[in-house]
Amino acid sequence: MILSAIVFLPLLFALIVAVWPNAKTLRHLALGLSVIEFLLSLVILQQFDANSASLQMVEKFMWIERFGIQYFMGIDGISLWLVLLTTFLTPIIILASWTSISEKVKGFHVCMFILQTAMLGTFLAMDAVFFYTFWELSLVPMYFMVGIWGGARRIYATVKFFIFTMAGSVLMLVAIIYMMYLTQEVTGHMSASLLDFYKLKIPFVGGTFFSLQTLLFFAFALAFAIKVPAFPVHTWLPDAHVEAPTPGSVILAGVMLKMGTYGFLRWVIPLFPEASEYWAWLFMLIGTVGIIYGALVAMVQPDVKKLVAYSSVSHMGYILLGLFAFNAYGIGGGLYQMLNHGISTGALFILIGMIYERTHSREISKYGGLAGVLPIFTIFFFIITLSSIAVPMTNGFVGEFMILLGTFKAAPAFAYFAVLGVVLGAVYMLWMFKRVFFGPQGELVKDEHHPLHDLNTREIAVLVPMVIMVFWMGLFPNNFLNYSKASIDFLVNNKNNYNLTIATPGAATTTQAQGGN
Amino acid sequence: MNSTVGLSDILLISPMIALFLTSLIPLTLKVLRGNREQSPIVTLTQGLIGIVIAIALLMVFGGAGKTAFNNGLIFDGVTQWMSVIALFAAGASMIMMYENPATTGKQFSELIFLAMSSAVGMLILVAAVDLLMVFIGLEMMSLALYLMIAMSHEEKLSKEAALKYFVLGSFASAIFLYGVAFIFGSTGGTNILSFMENASELIQTSRLFLFGITFVILGFCFKVSIAPFHAWTPDVYQGAPTPHTAFMATAVKAVSFAAFLRVIATKSLIGSDHLFDILQWLAVITMIVGNTAAILQNNFKRMIAYSSIAHSGYVLVGVITAGVSDNGAFGASGVIFYLLSYSLMTLGAFAIAGMMEKSESHIVNIDDLAGFAKQRPMLALCMTVFLLSLAGIPPTLGFFGKFYMFNAAIGEGLLWLAIWGMLNSVIAVYYYLRPIVVMYMKDGDAEIAARPLNATTVTVVAMALAIVLMGFMSGPLFAAVEKSLL
Repeated sequence: MILSAIVFLPLLFALIVAVWPNAKTLRHLALGLSVIEFLLSLVILQQFDANSASLQMVEKFMWIERFGIQYFMGIDGISLWLVLLTTFLTPIIILASWTSISEKVKGFHVCMFILQTAMLGTFLAMDAVFFYTFWELSLVPMYFMVGIWGGARRIYATVKFFIFTMAGSVLMLVAIIYMMYLTQEVTGHMSASLLDFYKLKIPFVGGTFFSLQTLLFFAFALAFAIKVPAFPVHTWLPDAHVEAPTPGSVILAGVMLKMGTYGFLRWVIPLFPEASEYWAWLFMLIGTVGIIYGALVAMVQPDVKKLVAYSSVSHMGYILLGLFAFNAYGIGGGLYQMLNHGISTGALFILIGMIYERTHSREISKYGGLAGVLPIFTIFFFIITLSSIAVPMTNGFVGEFMILLGTFKAAPAFAYFAVLGVVLGAVYMLWMFKRVFFGPQGELVKDEHHPLHDLNTREIAVLVPMVIMVFWMGLFPNNFLNYSKASIDFLVNNKNNYNLTIATPGAATTTQAQGGN
Repeated sequence: MNSTVGLSDILLISPMIALFLTSLIPLTLKVLRGNREQSPIVTLTQGLIGIVIAIALLMVFGGAGKTAFNNGLIFDGVTQWMSVIALFAAGASMIMMYENPATTGKQFSELIFLAMSSAVGMLILVAAVDLLMVFIGLEMMSLALYLMIAMSHEEKLSKEAALKYFVLGSFASAIFLYGVAFIFGSTGGTNILSFMENASELIQTSRLFLFGITFVILGFCFKVSIAPFHAWTPDVYQGAPTPHTAFMATAVKAVSFAAFLRVIATKSLIGSDHLFDILQWLAVITMIVGNTAAILQNNFKRMIAYSSIAHSGYVLVGVITAGVSDNGAFGASGVIFYLLSYSLMTLGAFAIAGMMEKSESHIVNIDDLAGFAKQRPMLALCMTVFLLSLAGIPPTLGFFGKFYMFNAAIGEGLLWLAIWGMLNSVIAVYYYLRPIVVMYMKDGDAEIAARPLNATTVTVVAMALAIVLMGFMSGPLFAAVEKSLL
């Protein structure tokens, strides 16, 4: 029952928060509840068998019998860390929103918890319709979060966000229904279970767009590419990020974008192996273009938040590149980079939110010389910047290194260009860092009426866990990679015949991991 | 032809009889009291009791595919479900009428009588398998509605709406009847069951029959606002008092589609090439027209009116599916399930719009909703549920309505229609989000009228809860619908 508890407890929390009478203790309550949720997710980690590639802690029963739709949850090395990332970031976000969200506090926390349910459900659902339900549900609280607590152009941004992502996913729904009928043809009864989908041998013809597998592949891939967001369907992201309030940006960059790359890893690649391989060049191209394009556009942004938003396009391009390299390095690096990006970009958005609260401006040109006024802030920002540009010993380095290694092995041409992104990343981040923190003091920093205060205890408490994660993940990557290794090896080795199985509880599990080799 | 009427016939139509008799109570009492109105709440209660009795009788005696009056009426699963939907919509609309400024005037007894008479017509319509019975049901339902709309006293728009509805509705009825005459001329009968088996042959061999069936379909297209026969819909929906609009948009549409389903959804008929092509295109055009026009609307009722046109397009996909399917029950249950979900959410949306009307002539624009979330958080939340459900966002009932219907369509190979439907529902998201944006994200002083609107509020909250809960429980519900049709 642990997975159901993890997924649906936040919904209960949302209810508790909604009826909580005392406004003063509301934030404390929400923080406490989210910490409970995080601790509970550690139980999963503790119970998780890292040697097994099978689905663990499975919960499964019929939901809509007529169509073989199940309430079906399970966890493996692919979803494990994404679940923990979600539960880890939520208390941090709630703590970071302490002063930045001052209106409609209750509604904000209700949205936050509903969103948490939707995201966790997306990562854990193993039934297509069940998955789709969470996938679409996640749009609603995010829509409110940007639309109610966002900046001046929030309504434009939030409607664009909603329609873009929904437009992507309706074709996926059609594809899901179609595949349910395919399972009926093959097994005699309709099913929406992912495990049954994996067993389908969908006909593939190379060289044409109009073969069944290719069409289904693109129906899914479009939905996920929009969520990632991959070039050229990324345009909703900068708008959403700039208008979103700090917590919204953090959750968007930290977790929601990962729903897209997770979708590629869980659905697209194992379900449509031939099509994925055949069209890999396209997605590697999209990834590479995204890396360079995102970096170049980030470079010229006058708004520091927009800069980080475009840097996300660039970083997410790496993940795409890694996933379509189809080897253990690429896919493992991609998965690792999902976590890294969640930590570093999430932290960057939090830092930007902190300085925005003080100055009510995000324009790089108005800063300058911040280092002299806000030393603690500067240190934190510097560490996160290093992580974002993947300096060795930080988490970002491990991920990017693995991805590039994998790409060199699979398609060297793309790797040459992708490496360029590493340099460009350093350029725009360090240049921004220099302009904001060093040099002559800008008008905002000099403003005597509004002296700037350095970080307070709460703000430090928000950032410390993230910095710890930056170094922990950078110095001891095996602590994390070991948990997903079995699953990734299993996927890579059985790519064309990915028969994910359900772990039998209590049985010795090491055999299953080897079964795939 | 043996035309005796037995007890079983009477029992089968007992819901209609009961409904008709109870509808006379408020009117009779008013006359007996010297033409003085009773207290509206008493009138309303009498009406609701009638509806409850009718539903109970329907549950007891209906179902099981029994026919009455020489195969003129059939009482199967479709009849049962659609009658319940119609009666529920009638009841909810009556509650709304009780609290709406445009309808709580001096003639409330008459209004309730008319609404219930219209519901009697609806029950006949959904049960009818004889084209003349269909016509009787259609007319009984419509005539009462023309009067109801025109009865709103001060409002000029409602007069215009009534006239428009009357003229175009009569036109549609005339076309329908013309078609029936042609069919009678070519087959010598008007019973659907008698000629549908060999309809495809008849279409090939008899031009008269082809004309007849085309006219019948045209008549239905008017009634359920399939483009390009939809032009009356926005004007009538906007002009009519909001509770009436809710009644029309849900009950009338649901029962008309039920009759549509019964008359044309036969493999031998829809399966014929031309008809199949034409209906498909009608469905696509209807979705596009409804959705694109809805984007442009500022008036809330007009927007929902256009969106209901788009929903007609989706339902037509379901009707076509039911028609081409070997397993007719599957497609038909998709349609019924969709209409069930559509009725709940549309009633809810109109109920809230009606609550915001300050006077008879007040028209609620979408911008008027600004600040609604602050003033009435509970109602705003309900409205959000209705709109998200209309847009088809999971896990609401509206999503599952679309899911089941398009699922059936894909199963029957109508993939491209399903894709069109899905893409259209993305367009729809754009305008369904607008009221939510305005309610939650813009400041203003949206208020609902000062009168206590308790009954409507309770209904609205109950419907919103039902939409969410039935969304989770949609599996058994759909199975129940399908089982009753087999």
